[in-house]
Amino acid sequence: MDTNGTENGPDHGHQRSSRLAQGLGLLADMSRDFADTRDIAGTLSRALIHITEYLDAEGGALFLLEDERILRCQSSVGVIQIDGLTLPADQGVVGSVVQANAGRIVRDAQTEPDFDKSVDERTGFTTRSILCAPMSIADQCIGAIELINKHGSDGPFEDADLALLEILCSSAAMALLNARLAASLVEQERMKREIELAAEIQRNLLPAAGTSGFPLFGFNIPAREVSGDFFDYFTLADGRIAWCLGDVSGKGINAALLMAKTASLYRCLGKTETNPSALLARINDEIVETATRGMFVTLIGGIYDPANDTVCFANGGHEPPLYHSRDGIFHDFPAEAPPLGILACTDGNQFPQETVRLDGGSFYVFTDGVTEGKLPNGVSLGTEGVKRSLAKDANLPLDERLKAICRMLDRDDGALHDDITVLGIDAARPTLARREAPLGDQSFTYRFAARAELLQGARNAAREYLKSQGIAQAPINDIVLAVDEACQNIIRHAYRDPDKGDIVLDMALHTSADPASSLRTLVIYVRDFAPEIDAITVAPRKLEDTRPGGLGTHFIREIMDEVAYLRPREGIGNLLRMTKEIPPIH
Amino acid sequence: MDHSIREDRGALVVSLAGDVDLESSPRARTVLLDCVGQNRTVLVDMSAIDYIDSSGVASLVEAFQSARKAGSPFALVSVSEAALRVLQLARLDRIFTIHASLDDALADGS
Repeated sequence: MDTNGTENGPDHGHQRSSRLAQGLGLLADMSRDFADTRDIAGTLSRALIHITEYLDAEGGALFLLEDERILRCQSSVGVIQIDGLTLPADQGVVGSVVQANAGRIVRDAQTEPDFDKSVDERTGFTTRSILCAPMSIADQCIGAIELINKHGSDGPFEDADLALLEILCSSAAMALLNARLAASLVEQERMKREIELAAEIQRNLLPAAGTSGFPLFGFNIPAREVSGDFFDYFTLADGRIAWCLGDVSGKGINAALLMAKTASLYRCLGKTETNPSALLARINDEIVETATRGMFVTLIGGIYDPANDTVCFANGGHEPPLYHSRDGIFHDFPAEAPPLGILACTDGNQFPQETVRLDGGSFYVFTDGVTEGKLPNGVSLGTEGVKRSLAKDANLPLDERLKAICRMLDRDDGALHDDITVLGIDAARPTLARREAPLGDQSFTYRFAARAELLQGARNAAREYLKSQGIAQAPINDIVLAVDEACQNIIRHAYRDPDKGDIVLDMALHTSADPASSLRTLVIYVRDFAPEIDAITVAPRKLEDTRPGGLGTHFIREIMDEVAYLRPREGIGNLLRMTKEIPPIH
Repeated sequence: MDHSIREDRGALVVSLAGDVDLESSPRARTVLLDCVGQNRTVLVDMSAIDYIDSSGVASLVEAFQSARKAGSPFALVSVSEAALRVLQLARLDRIFTIHASLDDALADGS
């Protein structure tokens, strides 16, 4: 606005207020246009025409910043037609406005050092005065609108013109940023859906959870939606089990795609090529032929033969697998061959294979996400940590042993930086009926407060359930005693204060995995929510010792086939698992 | 758990019936130790015991040890099948003196 009061005659005042009204009308029209449009470029062009007309300029141009370094003319109108013209973002009057993020009036272009005369030379047009304002929101400048030569003999542009252009430019900038944001949100949403689809397809590439009694168990926990890790196993026609575990270099979608390819190659070729050394060589050559430069796969592939209890495997550049013998000795097998996808095989023995007899021991394969995974104290688990955990849990079923490792690393505190993938083979101690397996309609759950006077009710309920399952009276009496003793241990040792918590009793009968067997396995879980108890404090007494105490635990061990103190998945309390084989009813 | 105490031919006969479990065994313990404390022959009639757990067995063990210290006879009588199984599991069936009937016990003079 002109603050010089001498020109404020009645005519001027009328002109000003009607211009202001027009300006506001233009701003309103533009805002509406921007809000409604999907064609942001067309809307910007129309806005430029209106602005140029309204400010009575001979020509106008709208420049947008590209990559912070280039200004490109998006639209031009009037005497100059420079659509598509580019200039460095720090040159010319437009450049100076964008750099300073402030509008300016150039009253005499020909004497202005920032003015780039080359455009005039090309167009044959003479630029006299320039009005230019940045298109910016807060500190972010995304372009500028430049108007050339005020029409007729009105002279140069005025401060009021600049003020108005700045407002109009802000409105245009806001509309453009909104449109860009909306487009990027749509794109992000689309990408997210695609990644979810990819993750689902990837999960389907992994084998389904192992069935009870199957000698292999494995799992994969991706650090992101999609994973570069994988494992697989399947039973061959002759009863042997082919398995593999691998890790693709890198993370994210590209790693996931190479993972999908390698896993598919393994599954396809592994059905006919059962020699691990030859199989890895074939997969290697396939990947070398087509892999993206720089990406590779570490892979262990092998065969477990239940008939002679041997694991035969070849290791292409992967973390050494671990063998844990029956006597508790660990042995690892460092890779002698490079990862797959680096060099085509030149001789027949690039991936040498090794054979291990399980002999009551277990064989473990894992990715570096396990050994490099962080414990709560920030230290990596390391191979030694893996060994310690496996040794400590050696008497647990295979799946529990592997899950215990996973629980140390995947703690819901964002500690998981890399995918975790583990595979174990353990034939001598087949996995017991898995806790996660649906208990079915033959299961029993009874929850009660940990109080002595409620034990009789629990015993009666357990007795009824066992009777309904067709179990004979003598074993029922024994099992009920074991359950009662387990609950007593909780009441006496775990919950220090009476009335401080519940006991949950779960029982289920599982039929044998072996169809020829008519044995059934009764699995009982007794769960409490008390502070963790040390299994040593509930150790059985020595028999020659007739003092009371420890007798209950002795009963439990005497009656049940297997007794294990587990850590509940939820992390609080104690979980006792007892199993007993139930002979068939005659 | 129910219990009763009676005298028969100079001996104290303690009958325990029903479930001797964590809830009731403190009572069984008190009753048994009281009887043992009278320095007389104590016979525990276990024919009506439906269920006994480690805490019930512990009460019997404590009474048995207390009687032994005092030099007074202590025996189990007519042990029900359910209770005998538990004593067997505890390998205590050969430590306690067990009589098939009250008459046998009194004839034996224990």
